[in-house]
Amino acid sequence: MERHNRYWRTVLLAPPLLMFSVFVIWPLFSSFYYSFTDWNGFSSDYRFVGFANFMKITTDRLFLQAAINTSIWMVAAIILPTALGLALALLLDVKIPGARIFKSVFYLPICLSAVIVGQIWTWIYQPDWGLLNTLVSAVINEKFNYAWLARPGSALWSVIVAWSWQQTGLSMVIYLAGLTAIDDDMLKASALDGATPWQRIRFIVLPLLTPSTVVVIALAVINSLKGFDILYIMTGGGPFNSSDTLAMHMYNESFKKYLMGYGSAIAVVLFLIAMAIIGLYFRQLRKVERIYG
Amino acid sequence: MDDRNCGPYNPWPVAVFLILCLLAVLFLLPTVGVLLSSIKTTRDIALGDLWAIPSSLHMGNFTEVLGNPAVHVYFLNTLLVTLPATILSIALGVLAGYVFARMPFRGSNVLFLIVVAGMFFPPQVILVPLFRMFNALGLIDTLWPIIIVHSALGIPICTLLMRNFFATIPGAMRESAIVEGASEWQVLTMVVLPLSLPALAVLATLQFTWIWNDFLWPLIFTQSDDKRTIMIGIVNLKGQYSVAWGVQGALSLVASLPTLLVFLFFQRYFIKGLTMGAVKG
Repeated sequence: MERHNRYWRTVLLAPPLLMFSVFVIWPLFSSFYYSFTDWNGFSSDYRFVGFANFMKITTDRLFLQAAINTSIWMVAAIILPTALGLALALLLDVKIPGARIFKSVFYLPICLSAVIVGQIWTWIYQPDWGLLNTLVSAVINEKFNYAWLARPGSALWSVIVAWSWQQTGLSMVIYLAGLTAIDDDMLKASALDGATPWQRIRFIVLPLLTPSTVVVIALAVINSLKGFDILYIMTGGGPFNSSDTLAMHMYNESFKKYLMGYGSAIAVVLFLIAMAIIGLYFRQLRKVERIYG
Repeated sequence: MDDRNCGPYNPWPVAVFLILCLLAVLFLLPTVGVLLSSIKTTRDIALGDLWAIPSSLHMGNFTEVLGNPAVHVYFLNTLLVTLPATILSIALGVLAGYVFARMPFRGSNVLFLIVVAGMFFPPQVILVPLFRMFNALGLIDTLWPIIIVHSALGIPICTLLMRNFFATIPGAMRESAIVEGASEWQVLTMVVLPLSLPALAVLATLQFTWIWNDFLWPLIFTQSDDKRTIMIGIVNLKGQYSVAWGVQGALSLVASLPTLLVFLFFQRYFIKGLTMGAVKG
């Protein structure tokens, strides 16, 4: 049996592991290698420059800006869709007419691509006739004309709103699945004991939803770290780099300025940050699991 | 206290219903805006505002989009990337997931974690080396790099979901089949896979949507217009039709249709399967 197992393990595992190693693991290590060179992307010779690329990062004003923006982006892009999705799931757990239609409505945006979501919201933020300015104009009763995506103060937040609109449906669905697993009798009993609806949510429902929250936040972290497409479409990192993120900065340095060595150094930093966040997250997770079993 | 008709923590079902209606309208507005713009003439949009209900149905934008040969090429390219990459990534995930679930070995948990960790890191990290690799192979500006990278990057999620699913299938089933002389391959393809249709449906939906909608890899690996996929095409055509919002709206709808259809088709499995193995219950 053991010989049988060893044979089949090798045969079955070889294709996926080979594919994964050659096109994911190996490039990952290559990025580290290139980050110590001044490779420009085309010429076959390049020099080793030691830590020069990493030294450059510490004085790169645009990198600092991108790092700050990435932090804002990640915190907001994790909290907003998660909170909104939870609220929607709690509201939808009520047996109301049309619940299925509501669920589909809130889920629809997640089926659209980042490119299309970006395009839709570019129209909404359009200064002259965009939906947002039209609505504000109607409320304040005069012509309101604000270029949401062209002002450094609002560009990043405007994209975050669009992103949240798209991602909320995903967390809602996961929370809804978690809610169906909660025992109704427990909630009824607590109601008889005089617990208010808020107390029931706070002390019974939320703790029991912990496994769902774990999944929702993990997905939000992964998705927000990859958040590149929608920024590329809506602002391109502008105006004046006000919505630049590390991913965008890395792309610009590597594929616009052809500083692939420097781009690789940014990629390495991005990777280390990503791994640190994920690592921290899973450490917290173990603590939570110890408490809630 | 009878709360059979309202939820366990929402005391006012009518208020909840009204709040949900309001939120639903807000959520639908952006999509409805695109729908409305796609059935208006450019003149209509320029004259009135984009968001008014059109006086007459104008299908010209759709005929323009569907009649544009560039759009045909974008669609064909996207299909040529999405179908093989979806199938290949799922196949690879099935193989790895099966071993991790049914034939664990010393160090298999660590290996599994390394593969699944691939899900977490930003694709930008491997951009430069992959560009160099495919450039050296002479594959830049073909569809091959996109297919290959999507197949490889799909392995973590496919392996994770398939392993979790295979773990729910009783191991005795495999053992008795092997005792009766079936090979491992026969067990996998004739016993285990037919039972795995719900999991496969979930992965098909996820991978198809993900690859169809992707923007980054075709942006990096293709350059000429006849090698671009639909998501890049939308951005390219935007320049061509820079003021024709109606055409762009129609194009966005047409480009979203395949993923919407796949989702509707697999919806039944999807929500169940998405949470499978992740949320108990």
